[in-house]
Amino acid sequence: MPVYERGYRHWEHSGGHAAPAWWAIARRGIAEPLKRRGFLLLLVVAWVPAVVKAGILYFTWKVGELARLLGGSWTDITPEGFRAFLFWQGPFVLIVLALIGARLVTRDREENGLALYFARPLTLIDYVAGKTAIILFFYFAVTLFPVYALSVFGYLVTSGDVGVEMLLLVPLRATAFCILSGVSLALILLALSSLGRRTVFVVLWWVLLYAGSDGLADIMAMFDARLEICNFPGMYENLGSLFFSAEPALTSISPWFSLLQAVILTLAAVAVLRRRIRPVEVVS
Amino acid sequence: MDDKVNSSGSAIEARRLDAGYGGPPVLKDVSFSLEKKAVGLLGPNGSGKTTLLRVLLGHLPPVAGGVTVMGHDMARAPRRARRHVGWMPERGGIIPGMSGVAMVAYLGELGGMPTSDALQRAHEVLNYVGLADERYRLADTYSQGMRQRLKLSQALVHDPDWLFLDEPTSGLDPKGRLSMLDLVNDLAGAKGLGVILSTHLLADVKAVCSEILVLREGRLLDHVGIGAVDDGAERVYIAEGFGNEQGFLDAVRRAGGAAEAEGRLLRIGLPPDEGTGPVLRAAVESGYALRRLQLRTETLEDLFFKLVDGGE
Repeated sequence: MPVYERGYRHWEHSGGHAAPAWWAIARRGIAEPLKRRGFLLLLVVAWVPAVVKAGILYFTWKVGELARLLGGSWTDITPEGFRAFLFWQGPFVLIVLALIGARLVTRDREENGLALYFARPLTLIDYVAGKTAIILFFYFAVTLFPVYALSVFGYLVTSGDVGVEMLLLVPLRATAFCILSGVSLALILLALSSLGRRTVFVVLWWVLLYAGSDGLADIMAMFDARLEICNFPGMYENLGSLFFSAEPALTSISPWFSLLQAVILTLAAVAVLRRRIRPVEVVS
Repeated sequence: MDDKVNSSGSAIEARRLDAGYGGPPVLKDVSFSLEKKAVGLLGPNGSGKTTLLRVLLGHLPPVAGGVTVMGHDMARAPRRARRHVGWMPERGGIIPGMSGVAMVAYLGELGGMPTSDALQRAHEVLNYVGLADERYRLADTYSQGMRQRLKLSQALVHDPDWLFLDEPTSGLDPKGRLSMLDLVNDLAGAKGLGVILSTHLLADVKAVCSEILVLREGRLLDHVGIGAVDDGAERVYIAEGFGNEQGFLDAVRRAGGAAEAEGRLLRIGLPPDEGTGPVLRAAVESGYALRRLQLRTETLEDLFFKLVDGGE
């Protein structure tokens, strides 16, 4: 059949509104992993600590202090308890973000896909914002959303006895902390992803940065406590104490210093992204 | 989409363009203006064809000079200009992990289309390029020919005014190549799209384009219509014989023709309105025994080689 009979037609605009480019990128990036059963199962497992905490919270109020003794500090209804809960979600953050974020840029670079993006009316900000939103969604899915659910549950269980703190302040503190830490983690992970062409290496670097630095800092801190500065997840936990009015997580490092550290690392990640996310490599 | 042209009336214009990758400029002092038609971008490997396309897409900022595409200055408003352009890259051009239709629809959305329009249009263009039956397969699993068609689809999805095609027949078997050229011909002819076809395959240019830009070492050597080439700016004869060859060549030159030896054959160029009289008279005058005199119209290949070898 001759090609002209295949009926190429010019586009007739339906009159609908086009979504912003960053949202188109984010929507697709969020929807795609949710189609995988294994990943959905992981998200369900990531909510198990929240379910356990909810159970302990229930028994604490209904049965007494026994559950609190069994559960330890992370079952507290206080802000400190919620910070501890977020810290205990660390392994899920590590795994979920590795599965989602490591390939976000590498995959686009794999087959010259970046150039395809930037052949569209799209800016670097659209691209990075879209990819960051994907990571943020899944970061929130294992940290912030369980906190929201626990806050509502706690409010209902305690019959409003800890009303304002539980229903308003804890979610607000958690939101502010998760936005700051989430954006920082997302940009750092994207920067790592932009540096490699193989996802497996990005995952390796991410695990080394997240889990490796934690273990290494613990060992080094035995010789000099100030070397806790190398603890990457500890840095976020430490600055979290600013938001949750809690004791610093790192004994020898000020939470304000951890905040400065996080800001510097995030800015460095932005600089890497500006350098690496390009349709064409230009030597300057 | 509005069909804008710049103040000089051309759809794409480059003015004294220098561009490169941070080292010495790859494109040097390139100027041209194109109307919306099929234009071949010819040149040997490393001549700057892909670099020129990158500048026209706004991927590479010019070091000097400027470019406008559909009236939009690429330095000031590259995003607006890109709405008018579809690009088919030579290398890669696939987003792994997506089906053909998902990838084309996704890139349509990024091109500024509403979600439902992008999806509908993705189905249409995949049908047009002959990938209707394979549209739900993962793009990573496509054969080379299917990939080329998929890349053409993503370039078409947002209904651009211009298509920039970088080696579109690269890696295709003869049947696939003809089919791709049919598609491009249809788009440039019946559908009225402007096409810039970057290639080093002269036959592809001849099959599709009405004009050519010839690049060598980053400089624009010529910008001519294919018709002018095929009509013959001069009539070229191939001559063969024996005797006083040098005297014959000199006699032809004195008669106003061009003459040179190409191995054992002689290449004679005469103005198009001249017959073979001057050649025959030169043979008699020089005592050259002419055994064969055959007309050969100057082809695109001749022009190309003349231009790219001219400076060497």
